[in-house]
Amino acid sequence: MDDIDHQDEDRSSCPEEKGLTDEPINRPDNGSIVDGLGLRSIIDLLPCYLSIQDRSMHILFANQTFKYDFGEGIGKLCHEVYKGNSEKCEACPVQKTFNDNKVHISEETVQLSTGEMADMIVYSSPIEDPSGNVVAVIEMSTNITKVKEMQKELKNLGQSIAILSHDIKNILEGLQGGAYVVDEGIKDGDMKLATRGWDIVKRNIDEITVVAQNILYSSKKRELKYRKFSPNRIVIDVADMFQEKAKAMGINLKYETNQALPLVSLDPLSIRRMLENFIWNAMEACKRDKAKHFHTVVVRADFHDRFHLKFEVEDDGVGMDEKTRASIFNEFYSTKGSDGTGLGLLVADKVIKGHGGKVDVLTAPGKGSTFRVIFKLH
Amino acid sequence: MENLSKIIIIDDNPDFRFIMETFLKRNGYETMTAENGQKGIELIEKEYPDLILLDVMMESIYTGLDVCKKVRTNPGLKDIPIIGISGMADELGVQVEKWGDEDYFNVNEFFDKPVDKEKLLLKIKELLEEGLIKKGKAVRIGGKLYLKK
Repeated sequence: MDDIDHQDEDRSSCPEEKGLTDEPINRPDNGSIVDGLGLRSIIDLLPCYLSIQDRSMHILFANQTFKYDFGEGIGKLCHEVYKGNSEKCEACPVQKTFNDNKVHISEETVQLSTGEMADMIVYSSPIEDPSGNVVAVIEMSTNITKVKEMQKELKNLGQSIAILSHDIKNILEGLQGGAYVVDEGIKDGDMKLATRGWDIVKRNIDEITVVAQNILYSSKKRELKYRKFSPNRIVIDVADMFQEKAKAMGINLKYETNQALPLVSLDPLSIRRMLENFIWNAMEACKRDKAKHFHTVVVRADFHDRFHLKFEVEDDGVGMDEKTRASIFNEFYSTKGSDGTGLGLLVADKVIKGHGGKVDVLTAPGKGSTFRVIFKLH
Repeated sequence: MENLSKIIIIDDNPDFRFIMETFLKRNGYETMTAENGQKGIELIEKEYPDLILLDVMMESIYTGLDVCKKVRTNPGLKDIPIIGISGMADELGVQVEKWGDEDYFNVNEFFDKPVDKEKLLLKIKELLEEGLIKKGKAVRIGGKLYLKK
């Protein structure tokens, strides 16, 4: 191991490292681009991180790709450079290779010198002396952050389909059951029963409409169509649309506008969809709050500051704990059990991001929620 | 026989409670409803029903799964048949195997939404008959059920 420890200049004692010189590769087809490169240059250019560690986990060698993303690591401890840890990593593949002289593979999360976190697949392979003792370990890591992100997206997609199918099944139950009640009412000439059934059918038609519109919105790549409109007008229109439903649910749905607000240039169709989803979500939160009989939802358009416009939807419903609040926009998330879908908030988030806006959620369990969306005025 | 049978419907959705109540009453059953797991358990302990129709995805401190556990671990209640209803019966079915805890999630039958009401009716009838035989209140002779006096 010692001869490797100080081997940056003299690598001849280790046959694997003989090629780590800048000597051109001697190949019969002289003249190609590759011929001008030494093996060392090729190793430096490899699009993966290559390093050699000794038994105490000190880095003896690192290629340029490694140095570019993790800084000059030679002489430092591997776990310090990769993870900023003073302690050795648990289940370290390099340690395993030192122990059993075998190749090991693991997935690790590391920190680049920029501070950014990255997921790596790490291979460790032994370097032996002529007697077969492991004197050092080659570690080769490939950045698989993008692959991991795709995995996460696929998992979310799976979850979304499960939740959507749950929501749709609930709505179908409401439609079929409501129709059954209507039929029974008609059969008996009981108009009260038929009306009750018809109300159930109508409620579920409303719900399937919202779900279908959100599926359409989230599945299409739609170009935003910017045009000037009054934020006050859109708030009044959307609030009016929900008035009847709110009344039926015992919710006082109010709007507050500011006449000094100028016309803004956003995609009015998307903004409307966003507000509809926030209002729908607020009304569901009120419905689930059994602590009060009457609830209030307020929709606002106002200045956030001199340069920004804000839309707010405030409810005094169930509110959310920190864990729920942190999850609502991150993944397909629904706390509504047998009612409703998490898709609406994802759609709202897509609208906000598409316009370069920002959303704040002020909430606490039992205290209701306020969704505040901020857009640039100009 | 049906007229003697009392079914408790536990569901947090008022529409679903009303639909099931209408359906079961019109098929000759006595029904009672509870809008959450807590009230459901209280009602079960008080009324000792012949069958429980349980929404397993309720949002309350006591979920459908908690109700199921309470019933199955109470020696006085454990034999009451439970029919679980969910919009995620398939998904939950997979999880039941993973949990491997029979006391915890031991329903007699799962129905996925939208519920096939004819099949539900047949299953209710079957479970109630089994219950009567178990309790010694009825016998089955030549495929026919005879109530004991």
